[in-house]
Amino acid sequence: METIIGLSNIDIAIITVYMIGTLALGFFCTRYVGNAEDFFVSGKSLPFWAIGFSIVVSDIGAMDFVAVAGATFRHGVSAANFDWMGSMPAMVFAAFVFVPYFWRTGVFTIPEFLGRRYNSAVQFLNAVIWAVVLFLGLSIMLWVTADKLMHTVLGWDAMWSLWLMAIVTGLYTFAGGLTAVVFTDVVQLVVMYVGGFGLLALSMWEVGGWSAMREQILAKGPEFQNHFTILLPHNTEGPFPWTGIVFGLGIVLAIAYMSGNQVIVQRTLGARTEWDAKGGMLLGGFLKSMIPLMVALPGLCAVILVPQLPIEEADRAVPEMIRLLLPSGLRGLMFAALFAALMSSISGTLNSASTMFITDIWGQARRWFGRPALTERQALNMGRGFTAFLIIISAILAKPIADRESIYVFMQTILSMFQGPTLAILLLGIIWRRATQWGGLVGLSLGVVFCFILKNTPGLFTSEDPFLFVAWWSFVFSLMITVVVSLLTRPEPEEKLRGLTWGSVIHSAEAQAALEERNL
Amino acid sequence: MFETQIEAFCKAAFYPFLSRIFHPINELLNPIYQPWATLTAIGFFVGTMIWVCVLLKESYVNEGRPNRRWWSDLRLWTVLSMLPHVFVYFYFY
Repeated sequence: METIIGLSNIDIAIITVYMIGTLALGFFCTRYVGNAEDFFVSGKSLPFWAIGFSIVVSDIGAMDFVAVAGATFRHGVSAANFDWMGSMPAMVFAAFVFVPYFWRTGVFTIPEFLGRRYNSAVQFLNAVIWAVVLFLGLSIMLWVTADKLMHTVLGWDAMWSLWLMAIVTGLYTFAGGLTAVVFTDVVQLVVMYVGGFGLLALSMWEVGGWSAMREQILAKGPEFQNHFTILLPHNTEGPFPWTGIVFGLGIVLAIAYMSGNQVIVQRTLGARTEWDAKGGMLLGGFLKSMIPLMVALPGLCAVILVPQLPIEEADRAVPEMIRLLLPSGLRGLMFAALFAALMSSISGTLNSASTMFITDIWGQARRWFGRPALTERQALNMGRGFTAFLIIISAILAKPIADRESIYVFMQTILSMFQGPTLAILLLGIIWRRATQWGGLVGLSLGVVFCFILKNTPGLFTSEDPFLFVAWWSFVFSLMITVVVSLLTRPEPEEKLRGLTWGSVIHSAEAQAALEERNL
Repeated sequence: MFETQIEAFCKAAFYPFLSRIFHPINELLNPIYQPWATLTAIGFFVGTMIWVCVLLKESYVNEGRPNRRWWSDLRLWTVLSMLPHVFVYFYFY
């Protein structure tokens, strides 16, 4: 099957203008970075609309365009659950349960909040887990775009393409921190939506509309009968049973992701007011609800338009659609949209990983060894240095990590390994004053071990890849362990919990100032 | 190879115990499908809207609100952002 297409001069011009414009905007934001608070949380100046836009594009990457379309090609609309059930109501819970407490305490990171609520070991463990996940995610994002898009569709050398993306994105993230990340995200959302809806419109036109598409797909045979069923039976062999989607995804993975993922939450931490933080999360949820139209529906169209595509190469559905449907000019715009999606995800991940490393890993290790806290200037320089280090090492290791069949399920499987336990201690930490630091530490540690056991013990569930059930049951397990150990250990002092738990709203300015004291 | 060894170990060590917990739960859930699946999904969205709009205090929901205009009420934003999902899950029933 021919997969290589050429780009016209117009396409290359569009892509070049987009890249240079993004770099320029990112460097422009450097003027707003004077200290660590500016670099990590934009000096707490972000309005709700920038937060909402940034959350969406940081979350949605080129991987979603490629991998969700591929998952939809294989499994049907049930793959779209990840952007429907998997975003709302999780973002509502994040907005009204977790974000107010994160924002009010003035933390830079989620692990930092966990450190205040429980202890430094919980902070460090959670940060290390997330650092590994973000690193893997970064490598996967780089490789998917380089291999499945640039190499497959354009015939560009995968490694050369990978390094181009890494260097462009790394540069403006290094220079401008979260401010550069967020404001380039605003532009990237517009580009992404224009390109994405353009591809959708042409795809739907080509298949003859929704009803015609549905008829043609259902007529293809028994393996396509569930392609328009969003909630599949509990005992389905596929990875998306309804019980897993509602409980594992809707309650555990989605809430854990939207409330405990530094990349998502960091934007709200930079909000100028609590209302902006919450409103940004809700706006992001609304915009995210449109994402399946752009990423999942083209996958369905590909079932008809690219019928010769083997199932094991389903992740190539979008590249094939681009090759087939888009004329010159629109190809350039679509690739700019895909680059926008990728670059926003990379920049968000880079900035968040850097923030967590400085605050929770390096900073915490220094405290344990009795070293003085980093100055604002030192933290800023270290943050930039780690940003550069991380993008380089991710680019080097991208291929060995990410070169596998179904990337989306692989990434979701990784996330399911610890999100249940993390959500359990985060939730109990806020709603239950009796949760103790030892309950949190044991709940998190044993919860991750339990995840590992469930994941590697075949035959417990019917689903071929039961990561949704692993997430749910590890959440339940961690809840129980945290409660039991908390009840067996001494309660935390009132003063420690002030402002960190449900209902303990801080009203005095003095208490608020004490609460917001930095860990740096 | 290493993954296979881990799976073999976990199966030998944990499967006899864990299967006694999960297999009965699976047998209980297997026959439960529609309309309960869609009702549960939609109920999740509707329940969340009710929680924000009715159960949470307005002062907490709109803490830091820039003005008292109707469009800045985050309860309205919650409903507007959740409603499309209700329709989607109802449509695909």
